[in-house]
Amino acid sequence: MIFNELSGKTPASRVAVVAAGVISPLGFGLNETLTSLRGSKDCISPVARFDVEKCRCKTAGQISDERLLGQPRNGRKNERLHRATRMMIAVFEEAFGQDPGFTPQLTVVGTTSGGMSFGEDYYRALHRHRGLRHSPGWIANYPPQKPVIHAQHAFGISAPCQVIANACASGTNAIGHAFECVRSGKYQQVLTGGYDALSELVFVGFDSLQAATPEKCRPFDRDRSGMVLGEGAAVLALENLESARARRAHVLAEIIGYGISTDNHHLTQPDPSGSGPRRAMEQALQSANRSAEEVDYINAHGTATTFNDAAEGKAIAELFGKVPVSSTKSMIGHSLGAAGAIEAVICLAALKAQFLPPNINFRNPDPDLDLNIVANTARDAQIDIVLSNSFGFGGTNASILIQKVAA
Amino acid sequence: MNLRIAGMGWVTPLGRDIDPVWDRLIRGEEATAQPISDPIANKTYCAFRIATEALKDLPPHPRLRRASAISRFAAAAGLDALAEARSTIGGIDVERMALVFAVSNGGVVYTKRFYHSVVESGAQSASPLLFPETVFNAPASHLAAILGIAGASYTLVGDGAVGALAIKMASDLLDNEAFDFCLVVGAEEADWLLCDAYHRWRLLKKEPPIEPFHEPPRGMILSEGAGAVLLAREGTVQIDAIDAGGNFSERRKANEIVRRILHGLADEGACIIASANGTFVDLAERAAIEKELPKAIVYGPKPALGESVGASAVWQIIVAAEALRTKRLPQMLRSGGQVGLSFLAVDGGSWSKAIVLSCGLNQQVAGLRLSI
Repeated sequence: MIFNELSGKTPASRVAVVAAGVISPLGFGLNETLTSLRGSKDCISPVARFDVEKCRCKTAGQISDERLLGQPRNGRKNERLHRATRMMIAVFEEAFGQDPGFTPQLTVVGTTSGGMSFGEDYYRALHRHRGLRHSPGWIANYPPQKPVIHAQHAFGISAPCQVIANACASGTNAIGHAFECVRSGKYQQVLTGGYDALSELVFVGFDSLQAATPEKCRPFDRDRSGMVLGEGAAVLALENLESARARRAHVLAEIIGYGISTDNHHLTQPDPSGSGPRRAMEQALQSANRSAEEVDYINAHGTATTFNDAAEGKAIAELFGKVPVSSTKSMIGHSLGAAGAIEAVICLAALKAQFLPPNINFRNPDPDLDLNIVANTARDAQIDIVLSNSFGFGGTNASILIQKVAA
Repeated sequence: MNLRIAGMGWVTPLGRDIDPVWDRLIRGEEATAQPISDPIANKTYCAFRIATEALKDLPPHPRLRRASAISRFAAAAGLDALAEARSTIGGIDVERMALVFAVSNGGVVYTKRFYHSVVESGAQSASPLLFPETVFNAPASHLAAILGIAGASYTLVGDGAVGALAIKMASDLLDNEAFDFCLVVGAEEADWLLCDAYHRWRLLKKEPPIEPFHEPPRGMILSEGAGAVLLAREGTVQIDAIDAGGNFSERRKANEIVRRILHGLADEGACIIASANGTFVDLAERAAIEKELPKAIVYGPKPALGESVGASAVWQIIVAAEALRTKRLPQMLRSGGQVGLSFLAVDGGSWSKAIVLSCGLNQQVAGLRLSI
């Protein structure tokens, strides 16, 4: 991913993050998120939304519906909206509350399953031959673009929206593509992020693959046994840095690099060499014109599956040596299309408060992975540049580099 | 913007390969709908399907062994687009090629089968083989593996406008000097579950024909298949403007966005390739055309090929490119002639531009203009 700046043609624009919103099992908003990260909070709880009795894994990182209901926006009754839509409205509210002057020309959002539970409601009603009265609403609001469009309408935004469904890399791919759009100079302001709400189909799917664990989620641990799913949403408002400064917008951080690679080894398993993740991370560094030595912290994809952590860990160790690494999925689970966006916001929090978010449930280092894990508790640290990874089914690998803005 | 079409491929209910299908469209042929049965409610719908022989020469690849129909359609269209590009502009460096895959309903056949077993027999019976194929980007992953694309691959999800949005994304990607080519593929597979869903949503007719621009709208017929265009900096047909449009909050407000897009793309010498499919979309497009370009010749391929949702806008773009290359346009089928638009079949047309309007059924609208 070599950009204009490196080829000596049109100078590339710098890309600021001027606002952000987040909702995850860690909490609602940046402040609650920061507090929970600092407190190394384990947010995993038994799944109550659907029957998991016959699943191997019975837990997930979940968001309370009570808090999601909130006030209706734009005349819409929240009860009729999908949970994912409510999440998106909540994160839009936080981001536009920080910067009401932000008017995106484009929205790029990642997801894996859209309003999947509406699709499940429809199919179950069809199967039992009753309860189909609500089916037109389920059908119309099931598609992945709907939570984004609903949230846009609630805030009077008319920008075209691109919804990226690159499996678990979707959120980071969305941020990366949005970053490139602003960096190219073609767009001044792009809203980006990701969302996913827990659904039975996806939960059962990961369980059927035995990728989900009945135990604690222990990324990079010798005894890791799989992932735990999660849910949530996050958005980042990206803007040309000059334009942001000209209108005196508050700049949270800068996105400085993006890498994307496709690993064609297998639909669901990475090449054990770690070459796919490594290429994404190298490209992110190259696009930022930075060296691996300049990176102070890595928020890893770290799902705690045997194969992901082995491939990612190998690539990180080879490329970055002893840079501190953690997977915050240990606290909140894997929120799929939202993961990259939530983890980008976690990186913003880490840069702002100058600490390393923890990798909880860590007991025994994996002797095959020579990594500097931020084990179990948050650590204070001076950090300037952080890397966030997301990898997904289909072999999609994405990495972004975020830098603290000089005071 | 220097964005050109270097190669095209499609798999449609009227066949595969650009020229034979285009000839059939010119001759005024329409695909034959096939019955598609809902085993749960014991209902029968109609859809335009892909004939088995359309994929008979698809090269064997391990990734296609268990892949769903949508992945096969996409592979065939993508390989054809690449083959055409290689014959016209020469070597294509796959390392400098990105993939943008447009889809709406995705791998619905495997998704339904996977979830059906969960509903019927419980979570313990869920298939670990089917689940990965239910993921939206599975077809793109297979295509990337077949073509050897190891760089950027994006799956975009949306409604019938998603193909046009994918072209916009490809245009943005090609601003990056890391890429010389971007393969845009739109694909969809038909299933009774989709027919039932669109029927309950009051957008589907039980039987053909699709009657475009009829008032009141009588409904659409779903179809399946794939379209692919290889975008490059060389090629005879240029995409000289793209409007990624916006989203309408209610159907009656689709008119405003379609009209705004057409206003921005309007050119007196252009023909229009419409997305009219027998639904409210037609009324929005008709109002916009009557206002902005009332004399333009209008053609819409959906009465002949059906509404393929994720593939539909890419099919329209291929039709537009063929209209520019051949200076011919088919007669708009089943329009009834009662509306004030120009639907004449044209041989030796004088247009040098073609406008593609893409209004989806679920709030997204986009458009683009091609020239030669």
